[in-house]
Amino acid sequence: MLRMSGIVKSYGPTRVLEDVDLAVEAGEVMALMGENGAGKSTLVKILAGIEPADGGTISIDGAAVSIRSPGHAQAAGIGYVAQELSIVESLSVAENVFLGDETLGFFRSAASLARRARPYLERVGLDHIDPLSLAEEHSVAERQLVEIARLLSRKARIAILDEPTAALSETEIVRVKAAVRTLAAEGCAIIYVTHRMPEVFDLTQKVTVLRNGKSFPAVETAGLSIGDLIEAMLGRQLGQMFPPRAAHAGEEILRLDACRASGLKAPVSLSLRKGEILALAGQVGSGAGAVLRMLAGVTPIQSGSVTLEGGAYAPSGIAGSIARKVLYCSDDRKRDGIFAVRSVPENLSAPALSAVSRFGLLSPALEGEHVTRIARQFGLGERFLGRLAGNLSGGNQQKVALGKWIGLDPKILLVEEPTRGVDVGARSEIYSHLRKLADEGLSIIFASSDTQEVLGLADRIASFFHGELVRICDADDVTAESLTRDVTRASEAA
Amino acid sequence: MTSQDVSHRAKVTLPKTAYGLIAILVLLVVASVTTPGFARVDNIFVVIRAASLTGIVAIGMSYITISGNLFALSASALGALLAVLFALLTAALGFAAGLFLTLGIAVLCGLAQSVAISLIGNPIITTLAFGTVFRGLAALFSGNSILRIESEAALWLGTARPLGIPTQSWAFIIAAILSWFIIRHFKIGREIVLCGANPKAAVASGLRVGLVTAIACAALSIGVAVMAIMTVSQFSQAKADLFMGYDFDYIAAVLVGGIALRGGKGTPLQAALGAVLIALLQNFMLLHGLSAGVRMTIVGLLVIASISLFHILQGRGR
Ligand SMILES: Nc1ncnc2c1ncn2[C@@H]1O[C@H](COP(=O)(O)OP(=O)(O)OP(=O)(O)O)[C@@H](O)[C@H]1O
Ligand SMILES: [Mg+2]
Repeated sequence: MLRMSGIVKSYGPTRVLEDVDLAVEAGEVMALMGENGAGKSTLVKILAGIEPADGGTISIDGAAVSIRSPGHAQAAGIGYVAQELSIVESLSVAENVFLGDETLGFFRSAASLARRARPYLERVGLDHIDPLSLAEEHSVAERQLVEIARLLSRKARIAILDEPTAALSETEIVRVKAAVRTLAAEGCAIIYVTHRMPEVFDLTQKVTVLRNGKSFPAVETAGLSIGDLIEAMLGRQLGQMFPPRAAHAGEEILRLDACRASGLKAPVSLSLRKGEILALAGQVGSGAGAVLRMLAGVTPIQSGSVTLEGGAYAPSGIAGSIARKVLYCSDDRKRDGIFAVRSVPENLSAPALSAVSRFGLLSPALEGEHVTRIARQFGLGERFLGRLAGNLSGGNQQKVALGKWIGLDPKILLVEEPTRGVDVGARSEIYSHLRKLADEGLSIIFASSDTQEVLGLADRIASFFHGELVRICDADDVTAESLTRDVTRASEAA
Repeated sequence: MTSQDVSHRAKVTLPKTAYGLIAILVLLVVASVTTPGFARVDNIFVVIRAASLTGIVAIGMSYITISGNLFALSASALGALLAVLFALLTAALGFAAGLFLTLGIAVLCGLAQSVAISLIGNPIITTLAFGTVFRGLAALFSGNSILRIESEAALWLGTARPLGIPTQSWAFIIAAILSWFIIRHFKIGREIVLCGANPKAAVASGLRVGLVTAIACAALSIGVAVMAIMTVSQFSQAKADLFMGYDFDYIAAVLVGGIALRGGKGTPLQAALGAVLIALLQNFMLLHGLSAGVRMTIVGLLVIASISLFHILQGRGR
């Protein structure tokens, strides 16, 4: 149905796509995979009319088409969910669902928009939210689901989803998958970009892999092993995904006693030891992130007490926590993780300006050293250092957002969703790097909705559900099943 | 989609300052060829003086823009207030005291505005209100009359030409180089840029956002003070309606120089070039006898054209 062939694209002197072919049939779900920066988003942006191609042809149903603007793409029946959120925060949810839909006419009452938006919202599991509420009141995950509702409302013949589940947790992923399956059953051709392996095998019929600007011929998912797929993406085999756990943990460094903060329904008590990696496992809105935000000084500690290295700890604001060397990396890198219009080195040195300057003057030597060290540790190649952070691929942006903290020699690192949108290769690098830091004495708390990541990386696991701490166990005593049960309270629901 | 060969497309990307320089050169050549009197020595000094003072304020304004606070609309009014105060203080306490007290008051006015901006959150509205206050105070202090000063030192500051170059231009050149150096090489300069690029990420990275706004406002106020002091010194008099209607020129200089409105990009050097370009253009149009209305229209069109140009360049280059 859709055929792209010989697609070429460069940004300035960098050639991103050299000779890429992609074909999808009606009713088929095609996974588009590749390392961070392989050009997946670039390819689908070309199809969606957002970026112009430098060469190549696109045909739909055998007829050549020319797509020069998002309008063209829409007219050709192409629906697109971008990797970075494109929700307008100051508009209502319903307005966001129908954003840019010209068939609707100008004068629609808010109520009628809401009525028409509701079925689409229901299909992505957002029946609990008010279509008239403002988009900014909702979490990243909910906004992502609104984008998918928008795609459904378009009745596209070709649907593109660029990492739709990167910001979502298990239950929401199930909804997205169901929505995608329905679309495919209705005869829609679907291009699905993801870094999550289970989804590929669960949802897609074929896989196209991009590497070094070229595409490999599509292969049937059914006949593929995870190992083969990773090798095709990375060009090498991946050893152990997760590093071995800590041999022993040090003395207690942080202790929470009956703490409450916004986003928590019950007081939370837990402790963290030196060199330990503690996972806060939970779905979106479970309270896992709320604990991190409280410790980072983003939201105040409402009651209870926190002890850091034996002394009281109650940061007033982010600057307060940074001063105590407790550092926080949020899950919304576009909002507060990176400086998109500044270069990668400037991003990496941003929190460490004092360390790289002398007498109020920036020292190029110190800054260069600082930046190279982080870049090396996080596998950010030399060629990325000259770019603006906003021009990096999603996964590399994540490395910048996380990497900039490492240079400050933190005592405690608080990370929300550490590997969102990061490819398998880089993910294992980040894991092994976090473990190395922990072995050197850093304590890490991360919040994650990715079960594999929680089980693989953590020494201990605290599971959260609906704003309450469910239990804390050694990672050895937890299985994928018991964890899923804890974070969804499946046993109680049944 | 038709195939096209990328290698044929020009890959040269000029730094933004280059566009300003090219435009200035073109205008200079066109003006001297077509306009009798343009290249005359006394006219050149008129142009340089005018460009220098506007340029100093535009450089100050660029701090505001780069730090992500858009523009201040109070610069011309603050200039009038400071001019009046400088005249009064110099008459009462002498030139040196007048100079330093005026600079001090300027910094205080800047800090007051920065506190208000941090509280209110909207620099445009805040500075609009402050502008009215400043203009009102200027009228109040001057009693709506012309204040005269008599000071040898002031006269030297206003009219001397060390090494053949007017003092105003020395101040302009020093301000441009110093500001470029601050933004590029000082820690606080980097903080200004980063706060402008993404204020939320700046807060999350522990940068001093409040301090940055304060420095930006203070920098603009110092620029305005220099303009006020030099103008009063040059003409030995001050009145409350000085610099009336100049605010758009400062903003236009920043925009014509190609500094991004959203903040986080650009250097004060670009604002300096923008100011020179606008001053040249104004003078060129004056010599051609164009009316004020026509001149305003043309400067406005120039701003629109340059914003569009830089927007297109950005979309392509990146
Ligand atoms: N506007 C731009 N200017 C310059 N380079 C760009 C621009 N946009 C993307 N790139 C570069 O193009 C390459 C491909 O980026 P793209 O976003 O397509 O990667 P991706 O495969 O989607 O990666 P990810 O899995 O991390 O999302 C990257 O190296 C990126 O840095
Ligand atoms: Mg991408």
